[in-house]
Amino acid sequence: MRKTLTLLFATTALTAAIGFPAWSAMQPSADGSLGAIATLFEEGAQAMPLVLASGKDGDDDHRYRKSPRRGHDDVDDDDDDDDDNGRSSRGGAGNPAPAGMVAPPQNGLFGNGAPPKAQVN
Amino acid sequence: MKPLLAALALTTALTVPSLAMARPVTLTATLNNYGGDGAYLALYVTDSSGKYAGSLWMAGGKSKYYQHLTDWYRATNGDTAQVNGITGASVGAGRTLKITLDLADALFDAGYTLHIDAAAENMRESPNEVAVPLTTAGAGKTVKGRRYIANFTYGR
Repeated sequence: MRKTLTLLFATTALTAAIGFPAWSAMQPSADGSLGAIATLFEEGAQAMPLVLASGKDGDDDHRYRKSPRRGHDDVDDDDDDDDDNGRSSRGGAGNPAPAGMVAPPQNGLFGNGAPPKAQVN
Repeated sequence: MKPLLAALALTTALTVPSLAMARPVTLTATLNNYGGDGAYLALYVTDSSGKYAGSLWMAGGKSKYYQHLTDWYRATNGDTAQVNGITGASVGAGRTLKITLDLADALFDAGYTLHIDAAAENMRESPNEVAVPLTTAGAGKTVKGRRYIANFTYGR
């Protein structure tokens, strides 16, 4: 009987030792972070740099400069998304954040009601 | 029961003024068929002394062109933080831009003026294309622009 109990205890301990880290890695805690043991895995993941396979970055701006009609000192037409490389979606590269991405400036002109809306017909 | 009613009255009293302090205002600008590419427009407000009070909208997402919106640029030094969250696409010739903003009631009948600067590629810059006092009486009345804007209205 004692031998059975020892065996049972050992297998339970082994299962817990293997299973808990795996379970922990899959279960976010209440504050959105991973569990204590999963943190080990998370650290490893952060150490790996994100490598972009696409060589698209910078291409659009080059194309834009090659255009004989347009210079960078001139105002363009409605192709706002062409040479931003997606940066303007968050207001990057010195461009402001588009409406809907962030709240309007706290300049005292706006209330706290509905966010700004615009349409062009 | 009595404390509950008192609490209800208090929260209502606190909520109602905040609702009344701002309301949706629609700004509508129709552009002329000026025969060029999309126009950049800066909509901003000055106070009764003519001092820049803040921006309401920027039509055109690339800050490198903001220098052509000369009055706005001079007032803000081209600070894009002034138009974060209130920026949209430039507006093509002959098209209508309609913006709905939740604006403070304090802007109306208090000496504020709404200005629009405009610029289009390879065409002349047009600072102060529109300048219209923000008043209750002026709501719904059509104002003509100088070069690019055929007409502009605001309504509450």
